[in-house]
Amino acid sequence: MTKTAPLVRAEGLTKEYRSGDKQMVALSGMNLDVMDGEFLSLLGPSGCGKSTALNIMGGLLTATSGTVTFDDKPMSGPSRDIGMMFQQAVMFPWRTTIDNVLLPIEVFGQSKKKYRAKAEELLSMVGIAEFAKSYPWQLSGGMQQRAALCRVLIHSPKLLLLDEPFGALDEFTRESMNSELLRLQAHTGATAILVTHNINEAVFMSDRIAVMSARPGRLVDVIDVPFDRPRTPELTLTPEFAALALKARTMLGLP
Amino acid sequence: MTTVQERVSELRADTSTRRAWVSPYMVSALIAPIILAVWYYVTNNGLVPSILLPTPQAVLEAVPRVVGANGFAGHVGRTVSEIVLGFGLGALVGFALGMLLGSSIRLRTAYLPFLSALEAIPTVILAPVIIAWFGFGIEGKVFQAAIACFYAVFITTLSGLGLAEPNSVQLMRSLCASKWQIMRMLKIPAALPVIFGGLQLGATTAIIGAIVSEFVGSDAGLGYLLQRYRSGFETPSVWVIIGIFLIFGLIAYFILWFAERKIVFWRAAAISRPDLEKQ
Amino acid sequence: MTSALKPRPTKAGVAKAEGGESSWWISVGSILLLAIAWELGPRLLDDRTLFPTLSDTLAGLVRLVSAGYWWGDLTSTLIAVVLAWMIGCSVGLAAGIALGTVPFIRTAITPYAIAVQALPKIVLAPLFIGWLGFGPPSKIAIAVVICFFPVWIDTMVGLALPSPNEFKLMHSLNATRAQTFRKLQLPAAVPMIMVGVKHAMLLAFTGVLVAEILSASAGGLGTLTKEFSSQLNMPLTFAVVIVVVVIAITLVSIMDVIERRVVFWSEESRARKS
Repeated sequence: MTKTAPLVRAEGLTKEYRSGDKQMVALSGMNLDVMDGEFLSLLGPSGCGKSTALNIMGGLLTATSGTVTFDDKPMSGPSRDIGMMFQQAVMFPWRTTIDNVLLPIEVFGQSKKKYRAKAEELLSMVGIAEFAKSYPWQLSGGMQQRAALCRVLIHSPKLLLLDEPFGALDEFTRESMNSELLRLQAHTGATAILVTHNINEAVFMSDRIAVMSARPGRLVDVIDVPFDRPRTPELTLTPEFAALALKARTMLGLP
Repeated sequence: MTTVQERVSELRADTSTRRAWVSPYMVSALIAPIILAVWYYVTNNGLVPSILLPTPQAVLEAVPRVVGANGFAGHVGRTVSEIVLGFGLGALVGFALGMLLGSSIRLRTAYLPFLSALEAIPTVILAPVIIAWFGFGIEGKVFQAAIACFYAVFITTLSGLGLAEPNSVQLMRSLCASKWQIMRMLKIPAALPVIFGGLQLGATTAIIGAIVSEFVGSDAGLGYLLQRYRSGFETPSVWVIIGIFLIFGLIAYFILWFAERKIVFWRAAAISRPDLEKQ
Repeated sequence: MTSALKPRPTKAGVAKAEGGESSWWISVGSILLLAIAWELGPRLLDDRTLFPTLSDTLAGLVRLVSAGYWWGDLTSTLIAVVLAWMIGCSVGLAAGIALGTVPFIRTAITPYAIAVQALPKIVLAPLFIGWLGFGPPSKIAIAVVICFFPVWIDTMVGLALPSPNEFKLMHSLNATRAQTFRKLQLPAAVPMIMVGVKHAMLLAFTGVLVAEILSASAGGLGTLTKEFSSQLNMPLTFAVVIVVVVIAITLVSIMDVIERRVVFWSEESRARKS
């Protein structure tokens, strides 16, 4: 099922920071369309503006100039149709895991009872169902991020914004979490934008990769990743995969 | 010249508990009788003036005398009410004012530095003033205790509201939470551990406030009783009252300790497992 | 760990806010508002003898200073406070080091430390006055007793702060007990010790003031307050209270400056330990 209109459209997105007489350009003139249902990565080194772009698209930051539209409407602030995941799980230690997952429901003023079953279902999908009544500090970092994944999905947002959510985890956990993420994204049909500095991760996860570079932060180009879904880890060992990774590397200006 | 092997086994032996057959708790249990014995010896042999510290027997004998005296329960009730009401009043006002000023980031950053200096003020200096205003009755004591404990609760509430991690605030904002929701669901719970510390300190100072106020001038209460016994040179009775105050202090301590485990349960647990604490 | 031995709540380390300008205005503005309220408020009551206005108090302050005799009381209090504080801190530090360095002893002592902290030491004040009479000896004795214990306990808490890993590090370097103490425990304990020492200043002041208030003729700012208030001379009473407040804030501000220096130095030496 393909839609022709983009879910998110960024035009001429620029973000500048001014401190005294010093000016820092975090993002300059980014034009990007994100199609409905696709998985897009923002790939680049530190300082390329990828997190800035993500936060602007999520309504948490206002651009200095340029426009962002979400679902054909201009972006004016955070939206209930957008869910964000950060590098830290950001669990509230005074709430149980399941209460943390249900946090968006509470904030939206909706009935926790109605969503409890869904929360439990999500928790078992990521494999931590028996920790529903436990507190976050009783869980490991990986488990907390799994709970955060459930939290971001509980209100079925149209758009998922993921700011290197598994960056702090070890390699093995990260791999399994990424597979989990792909599975759930396909299951819910949400659009996802992932910020990462890991080339392999970007190629493995995405339908398209927006390659960015720093100083000033800007979009270089967009690479198509035509592999079929569902994607398996063996894909990373194929020559086609390596070719795309190399293409991204070159675009990033790496040797 | 020791080899690496020998050095390693030395270290291994050292880090394990040597003399595991004597636990510190056994020593703990022994200290009390030792103190008692020292007390007995020192006082019964006139090494310490009896006007300061009487013999253990004398204090023991005084217990039924003091406790059984007419109106004793009334005095106890009076002091307890002063402490509880004073603490309640001071904590409530402190918390309310802290919430009021702390809900705005601008006010908080403006007030915090210069209000922190007020930590230094010894509120006991107001005791004569309060006696002049309120007289010897219970109101003045409650007021003194309230003033004494107000500051600790106020300043910890004020500063505690700034403790929420920026990431958590970011998360709430991404959920379109209102300012009040952010305050209620994030900032206040995040502030509770610190506020609780303020409550503990406040309880201590409230007790001191009530006692000092009674010493300076009162018509009833345990402090009043203590002064009366002292001016009558009945030192053993004075020490009975001191003992009662010790019991008060311990009760207050345990009440707050339990309350903390229930209300701020996550802090204690999270601290004991720092490897799992992510924020 | 038990609450009595938990580090006291620290003031939130607020760095200079970017809104420094508006912060200044807010603080100054609030102070002005309070001053105006203090000036106008009592005028609304028909009986001004008990509630002096700001100007009444300032007039009293002027009278106090020009009368001259208050110097004796001021120095009497100050000397007692500083002396008691120095004694309390040194003994507290010594006891803390003696009893807190070795974990075994520290654990054994802990229940008693809790009990001792639970007792509000101020209750001993009348006893000391009865024993030592009115005057400096009882003032200083009470203040020493009151401020000794927090320093002692905070020192012990501070010495227990380093993690097992840090002790292991010293062990692996074959450090002697003394070296571990000097290079790890002591620098790590300094922040806690400073907290205790600062708190001790407030406590010593409290102790001295209480002793002075209770001893009607001992001399000192506390006695002055008592005298004036029993004469219902509120402006003068408030004037003395202001003096006490100013002294208290000054003393602790000095301590703040010292603390910053000392903690900075101890962080340095700790970072250089291996």
